[in-house]
Parts: sequence; C-alpha cells; structure tokens
Amino acid sequence: MPLALAAFLGGVLGTGLRLATDLVFPHADAGFPAGTLGVNVLGALMLGWLVGGLWTRPGIPRWLKVALGPGLLGSFTTFSAVTVSLVEQSSAGLWGLAGLYLLATLALGFGAAAFGLWAGSRLAHRPIPVEIPDDGSTL
Amino acid sequence: MSGWVALSVLACGGGAAVIRYLVSRALPVRPGHIPGGVLLVNVTGAMIGGAALGLAERAAISEDLRLIILTGVCGGLTTFSTWSVETLELVDNGRWRAGLVNVGVTLLLGVVACAVAYLLAR
Repeated sequence: MPLALAAFLGGVLGTGLRLATDLVFPHADAGFPAGTLGVNVLGALMLGWLVGGLWTRPGIPRWLKVALGPGLLGSFTTFSAVTVSLVEQSSAGLWGLAGLYLLATLALGFGAAAFGLWAGSRLAHRPIPVEIPDDGSTL
Repeated sequence: MSGWVALSVLACGGGAAVIRYLVSRALPVRPGHIPGGVLLVNVTGAMIGGAALGLAERAAISEDLRLIILTGVCGGLTTFSTWSVETLELVDNGRWRAGLVNVGVTLLLGVVACAVAYLLAR
C-alpha cells in the first residue's frame, strides 16, 4: 500500500474518532475541554506503547506503522485544539482555567506517553533502546 | 451537523495527516535535535486554528466551516502523540535539555501564533 494512502486512511479514522469524542463530550467555548484532554492522553499512551514495544519487533510492515502512528494516532490527538482552547479561555479572562488545562495536558499527556513507552518495552521483553538509530528515523 | 460537513471534516483530517506525514519525511528527526517537522506542523496548525476562531467570532465564516477547519484541517495537521513521544525519546537518550526546549518552544510558538492569528482575524 502506498505510504501516503496509509497515512490518509489512518488520518480519516483518527479524525473521525476525535470528532465523535467532541460530539459525545461537548464543552463550552471557554469551558474545560475534557474530551480533548482524554483524546490526547489516550493517543499519547497508545503511540508510546507502539513505539516502545511493537515497533521494535522485526517484520512489522512500514505501511502499518504509518497508518497507525502518523495516521491514526497522529490525527486522533491534536495540538491546535489545545492552543485554541487556551486562547479562548485567556480571552474570556479565565486564566486559572487556562493554567489548569495546560498543566493537566502536559502532566497527564507526557505521563501517559512515558508510561506507554515503558509498558511497551516491558511487553517486548527488552529494555528501552538507549541509542536512537543513526539513520534519523524514529517511527 | 449534516453528513456533508462530517464527510468534509474526515476528508480534511485525512488530507492534513498526509501533509503532516510528508513534512516529517522531508524534515527527518536528527538524533539529539528538536524534531523540526512536528514543530512546524503544530505551530502552523495552531495559527490556522487561531485565525478560524477569530473569523468565526465575527461571523466571517459559518459554524460548519469553523468545524471543518478546526476539527478537520487543524486537528489532522497537528499532533500531540508524536510531539510527546519524540520528546520523551530525546529524554530517554539523555538529551534532557533538548527535550525541555522542545516542549517550551512548541508551546510558546504555538500559543503565540494562535493568539496573534486570533487577534488579527477577529
């Protein structure tokens, strides 16, 4: 499968799941975006788990990595929605809410990615790679 | 939300994911350095999002178009998962400073780009 097509199909699915989450957990324009927070935490956890575990095994086809990594999970999670919410909250004078949302996103999101990487490497029965390969690839 | 709007959101999300993938291929991660591809798409997406927010506020674009741009284009173009995992890979490799800088620079540029675009567009 062409890799761009894999990214497209994964992107459509990831965007659809994020849109569905927005519809199920709507929030006011200057409210607390719990849906976006949940999406980002879950997506970071799953990508960490894949990169730390499954991706390190030989024989995983490249198109599957692209479809699941940059495609599905890359599109499921979002950075722009975080900044848009921060701007909306700040513009409404809700600085405390903006600070709480930013802190929660960083702590829970990066914590989930770290836990995912750790859990993935445990599942793969091998330690977290100490060296990034010199060919410049990460995913 | 009509079916056409939902389809447009999905198509834009898929197309934006392809652009993000091609940008990260064109700007591959150099070991120990800040991943420039993800930084570029995240800041660009934040800026487009801020502009859409401002345009929608003065009703220059419809609510449907706002959803298509924010959830489809910007949501598909930007990513939290790759940003967090690539940052932690820097930290795992002992590049604490590069990891912290990657978080700080992405947040600073992203929020400033989003806020400036919003203020100019509204």
